[in-house]
Amino acid sequence: MHDRRFRFGVIVPKVSSAAEFTEIARQAEALGYSTLFVPDHFVDHPLAPVPALAAAAAVTTTLRVGPLVLGNDYKHPVVLAREAATIDLLSDGRLELGIGAGWMSVDYEKAGIPLDKPSVRIARLAEAITILKGLFADGPFSFRGEHYTVTELDGQPKPVQRPHPPFVIGGGGPKVLALAAREAAIVGVNANLRSGDGNSRDAASSLTSARTDEKLQWLRDAAGARFDDLEIQTLVGFVHVTDDRTSIAEAIAGGFGVTPDDAILAPVTLVGTESQMVELLELRRQRWQMSYTVVPHEAMSQFAPIVARLAGT
Amino acid sequence: MSHAFRFGVQLSEATSASEWRDNARRVEDLGYSTLYMPDHFVDTSLAPMPAIAIAAAHTTTLRVGALVFDNDYKHPAILAKEMATIDQLTDGRCELGIGAGWMKTDYDALGLPYDSPGVRIARLDEALQVIKGCWADGPFSFSGTHYKIREYDAQPKPAQQPSMPILIGGGGPKVLRLAGREADIIGINPNLRAGAVTTDAAASASKAETVKKLGWIREGAGDRFDAIELQIRYFVCAITDDALGFAAAVAPGFDSTPEEVLGSGAALVGTIPAMIDQLVARRDDWGVSNIVVGGDNYLDFAPVVAALAGT
Repeated sequence: MHDRRFRFGVIVPKVSSAAEFTEIARQAEALGYSTLFVPDHFVDHPLAPVPALAAAAAVTTTLRVGPLVLGNDYKHPVVLAREAATIDLLSDGRLELGIGAGWMSVDYEKAGIPLDKPSVRIARLAEAITILKGLFADGPFSFRGEHYTVTELDGQPKPVQRPHPPFVIGGGGPKVLALAAREAAIVGVNANLRSGDGNSRDAASSLTSARTDEKLQWLRDAAGARFDDLEIQTLVGFVHVTDDRTSIAEAIAGGFGVTPDDAILAPVTLVGTESQMVELLELRRQRWQMSYTVVPHEAMSQFAPIVARLAGT
Repeated sequence: MSHAFRFGVQLSEATSASEWRDNARRVEDLGYSTLYMPDHFVDTSLAPMPAIAIAAAHTTTLRVGALVFDNDYKHPAILAKEMATIDQLTDGRCELGIGAGWMKTDYDALGLPYDSPGVRIARLDEALQVIKGCWADGPFSFSGTHYKIREYDAQPKPAQQPSMPILIGGGGPKVLRLAGREADIIGINPNLRAGAVTTDAAASASKAETVKKLGWIREGAGDRFDAIELQIRYFVCAITDDALGFAAAVAPGFDSTPEEVLGSGAALVGTIPAMIDQLVARRDDWGVSNIVVGGDNYLDFAPVVAALAGT
């Protein structure tokens, strides 16, 4: 059963130098963050997660590392399994393996990868997870699915974390949340990205309190008894420390077509004073079991006092 | 004009984080230029991409790369992005080793179609254009048989400008002509058309065959031949007082005589001084200045590195 204690991560999509990246990783560790995440996109995200996470692990000692999240369609799962297990082995077991069905249509377009409909991408992700777990387990593994075939392969190396590193699976729709409920240790409750655009009104309107209640219900229904073991994660894209929460909330609300109250509660924003943020995080944990909060690395220092107050409580 | 000698080690195994870190530092301390990793799934261990990133993070001057990435395992735009990321995070210590792919057991295990060598090489040719397009300034588009790229301004660009060195290895005429046209470093390898290491592969490394391979590289390279660094990965590297006796023992595996083994472009056999002489002679004859040995003998081989590196 998960204890629902707070922990925190930072997400780093870009840096301007090698020294800056090393500094961010070491600072995240020193400030009490649990995990450094790197996203996986082709456009506007100039760090490839696999080598960047490996490098971050090499310059730290306890910081966990993970992709948030890998687009399953970008790499064959056998290739991914070997890379993930290598990071886990060479970091003494510090990988959190975030993986998703893929959604950002511009990535697919630029790289000439066919963008199948969501249900096909989710079915492919389900097969990939079976393959990843099969290769992480002991002994040779075979699999024959709709999308992948693996024959008598004993995946090497094996990860240090047994039976496998924790999977992070995020989503905002019922199908992917059901898959997460079955397969993940950490579930990201996100916007619904069926539009292929993270900044669309469709994505934003899926983040109201009522819609978040609905997502948690999907997750509960799909997880059954497993729900209590799941760690619920949110990626907060917008962190703004301010004494004037109301006017910021109104600005966000106008831009995305939601009410100011919903703009404040939405699990992708944190706006207000330090105390208000602490209250918000406690409220979200109470209502939605959200205990694992990831913030952009630009907010890392500003947000650190909140990490100091809440991490581990 | 010949290139200065430099040396590499091809490593694939480690059972812990500290072992891998210590290995990388030892390779650097012994004067090797580059740590390379193979890219296979069956009977090999670490994945090269994260492992070279970690090796580079634990060292300060060591160069890193794969020897070589199999093009068929990953989309070239992803490979380009990952290698450029490591190049940025190491202030420019990467070499992109890439090949058409050959080990059939990998393809079978992954369920990947094992196309004819001609198709795999054509795909590698396209992949090189995609990779170079990703690394050049501004958006690019590409429409090939195997890859399509649309108005993509890939990030990051490599720290090494205008490009990180591209290393292509091969043993047949098509891939070596392609390497001659496109690569900065060319590995002269056995011909692996059989899809496995066989006597056919071993025989294709004979002295006469090595000269033929140089001819194919020249055909592809034209005027740029002198700028290309030539590499041999010595799969047979034995420090011994009894070179002929050693050669007699391995000759059946090469399908040749002991004398032919000693002349083979895949074998380096003898005392340390004899190896030094032979490498100097081969650089004079063949132009090969970039020498790679395996994890099983890089420690014993270190005196050769100490004598020749940079000369």
